[in-house]
Amino acid sequence: MRLVNTANKAILSRLTILFVAGLLNACGASSVIIEGNFPTPNINKMPLSVAVYYDDALREFAYMEYTETGREEINIESGLSHIQLFDAVLPAMFDQVVNVSSLEDAVSQNVDAVFAPAIEEFQLALPAKTKLDVYEVWIKYNMRLLTSEGDYIADWVLTSYGKTPTETFRSVENGINEATVVALRDLASSFSLSFAQVPEVRDWLSSL
Amino acid sequence: MKTITTIKLIKLSASLFVVAFLANCTSTTVDEFRQGETGIESDESIVILGRRQASDYETRSEFVECVGERMTRGEGAISVVPEQEFIDAMFPWFEPRTAPLRTGDLEQLMAEDVVARKMNEFRIRNIVWVDGRTETSGRTGSISCTVGPAGGGCFGFGTWEDDANFDARVWDVSSLRNVGTINADATGQSYLPALVVPIPLIARVEANACSRLATQLKDFVNGS
Repeated sequence: MRLVNTANKAILSRLTILFVAGLLNACGASSVIIEGNFPTPNINKMPLSVAVYYDDALREFAYMEYTETGREEINIESGLSHIQLFDAVLPAMFDQVVNVSSLEDAVSQNVDAVFAPAIEEFQLALPAKTKLDVYEVWIKYNMRLLTSEGDYIADWVLTSYGKTPTETFRSVENGINEATVVALRDLASSFSLSFAQVPEVRDWLSSL
Repeated sequence: MKTITTIKLIKLSASLFVVAFLANCTSTTVDEFRQGETGIESDESIVILGRRQASDYETRSEFVECVGERMTRGEGAISVVPEQEFIDAMFPWFEPRTAPLRTGDLEQLMAEDVVARKMNEFRIRNIVWVDGRTETSGRTGSISCTVGPAGGGCFGFGTWEDDANFDARVWDVSSLRNVGTINADATGQSYLPALVVPIPLIARVEANACSRLATQLKDFVNGS
């Protein structure tokens, strides 16, 4: 009889732990790691050799969405997908692209320019808050182009936007992922098509 | 006494079902506006693309896929390049912000040798731009469900109206002109009677719009 009671108590305590763990998990923020495929741009290459530097802020970029009461709601990790995107876009834009681990390393690479992108702002609009039937993502970037010695060539702001409609069986995480992938494709299209039209870049290109 | 009540309930639910089933029909109207000659060779293809420029909605890729899939079947079947395959191959020229909105923009785009080459590889004769959505309105009624120790069930009645309105603009890639527009508008009333179990009687407005639009588009592109 005592043995049965002990076994019951053990099961009960395990169930309680599981229940509390489940409750805590339900209260915590959910996480979305952005995943997507980015095609290679179908554009004419520029005869340039460019080193690309991704700083830690870009590599580990994450955005936290808060509820109206200030509680952590969704953590969106998009650093890796940004690097995948630039790795797909830059080789299609330039003749030669090398990755460098620091701006100082670029000096030894003997390249025409060093490209260092940075994310300045990330915004998310959820259907539950906007009452619209779309998930929306805005990202603001600061694109920097430097000489291999680290001197300034150009520094410009680029914004990208992506949206995806709500669907009956689409989860919030999937909606955010889709909208972010659309925003990343928007970044790739505007960056690759407008690069040579940025006034400072245009002046620099004509001086080469 | 109990048996009579049960029979009455069954009769009531059966008549509700029949009434709802009869009323659950969709009406579809298709309008065609031709502005130029059409016709397609057996080795040529078309691509159907959804418009995604509007701020509050975007044309569902499932609808675009449905129209494309139906055009590849039956008499006068046409080769249709899948939307995503085309957009990826043409990247970054057909993204929501860069896609041509007018035939004049297409002319500028075709001046880019990379675009013209890819378009030639796909043997694209027509680009069809589909723009539209399905809207739900007039939701009325209520259904309440209860669960007890003896079992559970729902009781009530709900109804709503769906309206699917889609435009298809056909561009001729060789002449760089808009050769016509086809509009498909389908409306239908859906019902959800619930007597113990909810019975959804859904009006398939989007499926009907897809089917009628695909049939009309196929004839239009073939020039018949």
